[in-house]
Amino acid sequence: MLKRIEDWNYYELLSVERTASQDEIWEGYQAALATYGDGSLALYGLVSEAERAAILGRIQEAFQTLRDPDKRGEYDLALLRHAPYFPPKAAFRKSVGKLEIGEAPPRKTLWARIKRLFVKNP
Amino acid sequence: MDKRIWAIGGGKGGTGKSFIAANLGLHLASLDREVVLIDADLGAPNLHTLLGIKPAHPDLGDFLTGAVPTLEAAAVETPYRNLRLVKGTENILFVANIAHYRKLRLLRQIRQFPTPNVILDLGTGSSFNTLDFFLSANPGIVVTTPEPTAIENTYLFLKSCIMRVLKLYMDHYKIKDLHQKMLDQIEKNSQSLYGFFKSLMETDRTYGTILYRALRGFRPCLVMNRTRNEEDVLLGRSVADVARKYLLIDMKYLGAIPYDEDVPASLRSLRPYYVEHRGSPAARAVRQMSEELAYSIEFTLRTPPEIRLPDA
Repeated sequence: MLKRIEDWNYYELLSVERTASQDEIWEGYQAALATYGDGSLALYGLVSEAERAAILGRIQEAFQTLRDPDKRGEYDLALLRHAPYFPPKAAFRKSVGKLEIGEAPPRKTLWARIKRLFVKNP
Repeated sequence: MDKRIWAIGGGKGGTGKSFIAANLGLHLASLDREVVLIDADLGAPNLHTLLGIKPAHPDLGDFLTGAVPTLEAAAVETPYRNLRLVKGTENILFVANIAHYRKLRLLRQIRQFPTPNVILDLGTGSSFNTLDFFLSANPGIVVTTPEPTAIENTYLFLKSCIMRVLKLYMDHYKIKDLHQKMLDQIEKNSQSLYGFFKSLMETDRTYGTILYRALRGFRPCLVMNRTRNEEDVLLGRSVADVARKYLLIDMKYLGAIPYDEDVPASLRSLRPYYVEHRGSPAARAVRQMSEELAYSIEFTLRTPPEIRLPDA
């Protein structure tokens, strides 16, 4: 996907799939705030201050739209008019020869994974 | 089982590349997989110290000078089962600046090494030697720490890798005049890589497509080492996200390794950390990392990345 940063849609801004749940959207929003927030280390030496502020504004806009089911529906429809969308395929595990749909335990949320990292004896 | 070359690299020194290489090697070896660790840090080798092994011959220098015929002959047994080590050499001045043909010979021998897992511990900086070792491996793992200096050098390292990949493809397809154009444009600002491809697509779509595919084929992984809190872990995710968006590469965030006071202590006692502290959060993070990686490689082998051609 070769796109200018100004051309990213709301899902790309938050780095979530279009099928994302409200929880995933909230997570994506928090992560995006951490990336583009004031004094963020992640942009050090790569992105200018003005550019960062502009993207942060768009991220707020994206979250306000996607958290509201009605607005999100309208936005999705507008995106679909622009280009078709194909949801991601289920992962296929060669070692077990199965699609990762039913058998796989649900993936832990980002926060749960982060919290678990520092636990001394899980 | 298929052969895998792991490279641990990254721009800045002291981020824990050798630490991760040693622990990854010990972890894989403990899973009954044959592993060889190669100390490819030509300028400042110290992987043997992390494993508690004294410097002795044969080493990498002996292979490069021809004192031993093959790289395999330079690999020595370690006290750990399934794990062998090619030590770095003390003859630094000679090895740090090896000639091109010697480097190619070393790269060839690394590919032909009869062990399923070869782990390369790379040096700091973005010299052609380091970049070529990094690019020849899959997976290539970039190690960084949550400090501005390390983040800055990580982006520089990634940019150097990108330029090297594009240069190699330009040379192969004999696209000579583009290289200077790329150098001029990429230095400008954060969106310069996008600008370069955009203008290339307008002038020459075929070459643009070739180079864009080459760029998407470069898929490094990121590890955030020495994290002290949740923000540090999240920073790794942010860096990978920024690299995906601004540098247009398919970068995967493997995870974070928590800071541990015991690491310097185990270094001083010359006992490998992974062996001494198997249950620690950091050792657990290394295990999780290698599992995540094994899964993602398996997945990516099945489904090649979707390459959507950019709109001109």
